[in-house]
Amino acid sequence: MARHPSTRPSFDPRFSRGRRTLVRAGLWLSLAAALLGASTVEAESGAPTHVVIVHPHAGTSSVSREVLGDIFLKKTARWETGEPARPVDQKSGAAVREAFSRAVLRRSTAAVRSYWMQRIFSGREVPPPELDGDAAVVNYVASHVGAVGYVSTSANMSTVKPLVVR
Amino acid sequence: MARVSGVAFGRTVKRRLGALSLALASAALPAAAQAQEAGPDPDVKVHAFVSQGVIKTTKNNYLAHSDRGSFDFTEVGINFTANLSDKLRAGVQLFAHDLGPLGNYTPTFDWYYLDYRFADWLGIRAGRTKIPFGLYNDSADIDAARVPILLPQSVYPMDHRDYLLAQTGGELYGNVRLGEAGAFEYRAYGGTLDFGTPLPPAPGVTVENLQMPYVYGGRAWWSTPLDGLSAAGSYQALRFDSEYHIAPPLIPVLQSVGLLPPGFTGTLPTQFRVKLWVASLEYQRGDLLVAAEYSRWIGKFNSQAPALLPPHIVNERYYGMVSYHVTPWFTPGAYYSVYYPDMDKREGKQAFQRDLALSVRFDVTPNWLVKLEGHFMNGTAALEPTLNDGQQPKDLVQNWGAYLLKTTAYF
Repeated sequence: MARHPSTRPSFDPRFSRGRRTLVRAGLWLSLAAALLGASTVEAESGAPTHVVIVHPHAGTSSVSREVLGDIFLKKTARWETGEPARPVDQKSGAAVREAFSRAVLRRSTAAVRSYWMQRIFSGREVPPPELDGDAAVVNYVASHVGAVGYVSTSANMSTVKPLVVR
Repeated sequence: MARVSGVAFGRTVKRRLGALSLALASAALPAAAQAQEAGPDPDVKVHAFVSQGVIKTTKNNYLAHSDRGSFDFTEVGINFTANLSDKLRAGVQLFAHDLGPLGNYTPTFDWYYLDYRFADWLGIRAGRTKIPFGLYNDSADIDAARVPILLPQSVYPMDHRDYLLAQTGGELYGNVRLGEAGAFEYRAYGGTLDFGTPLPPAPGVTVENLQMPYVYGGRAWWSTPLDGLSAAGSYQALRFDSEYHIAPPLIPVLQSVGLLPPGFTGTLPTQFRVKLWVASLEYQRGDLLVAAEYSRWIGKFNSQAPALLPPHIVNERYYGMVSYHVTPWFTPGAYYSVYYPDMDKREGKQAFQRDLALSVRFDVTPNWLVKLEGHFMNGTAALEPTLNDGQQPKDLVQNWGAYLLKTTAYF
């Protein structure tokens, strides 16, 4: 169906000027985002890796990345063994959390926080508890059956079991 | 007169219910906060947010009396969630807002539920639950969950909040892994809606005895094998029953142009059936979010005045949106949103609304954010005559702007 000419956007001169400014600002923002994005990728490739850990008596020793992601986003409430899953996060500013979020959830911590804001205030779910540092996560995982967390490779993991992520 | 008294009575009851709700929340807060501090995984969890915004428009009033700047843009909510067992949970959220003529700070139970999750693929909820429609309807109130201050108003109109955000009834939901094919999530619901007295649709016309016999619908969400790409489809059906009361001086005028039948007495019973659907795509990877949705809302009026209330009308609504977390504290975003109230009538500035929006979000701390937003609007389709001195959309200015500033604290 042919569209009537009057239905086309016809911004007045002030809007045209404003629109030019906006387009210019958008281009600068896109360029900045592209540059920062590139540096983030480089940082990712050289970032220290993390280790996923579970309770020492956990009935599973490996998990797929997708299922692990579902557990941390609480789309899955149980392990394949039927045991309730109890994920625990690190604080949102922690480098190990950023590395885990990007590697397993495939999104930044900021994006994950937005996801949780949606879930919390729409009444769907609340996020995993956030603990400060590797030692706190190891202690939590060691003392809660079904718990799963992640720590930096330098953490003392003698009381927990590492989990292989497929 | 009796109706006016009834409305006044209803408002008094609402105010008292609101005061009671806040008192209960205040009493519960210290105990809940203590629970939150007791350990990393407390039985009762408390979350809250407070938002204050300002909206300034040029040439037309939008959402509020905004041409001179309006602070009537407030949201506050607090919720409590408890795990009663591994599978049973309960939650409640109190919410109050003010947006121009809407809300007026009246506290309401935004949602409350009992939730039993048999397995990942099957859970059941009873109570008042947010309606899953499109990507963001169930989080439309939540400023902290997104980059723009206003979600694309074509698909998520704020002045429809009371009708489209939550339903009271039951819901089934689940999540299934499909192996190499990704994952599938569904939500299906049925019940009714709770809403207050609607705004008058035009000067001299009021809507009363508004009832909703039913609402039902659902959303199917497919997380595709391509990481970060999701596709969803949502459907909703509902029926409004109401009475339009038309002021006596207007009746002969409307009859003379054939909009009202001869012998009309001033009360027009109507039945309005609406079916809504939206198709959604979202790509979220790393710091990038891209979303697009296309929607149609199909309405059928059944009344004695088909010339005044068209028996069949179809809205068309769509948008595309992008945002990028440049740093953890700085996120710009943009969208382009289009709305046609009647997709068969696209001529004239009142027949459409096109909205180009640019936003920036600053996360000042992990619990406090500030946003700025500009809208470049073309068309007057969604403008309310009641906010514009009774002027109809065809008499308002076609090209106009809206500028918003909003800050939100949350935990």
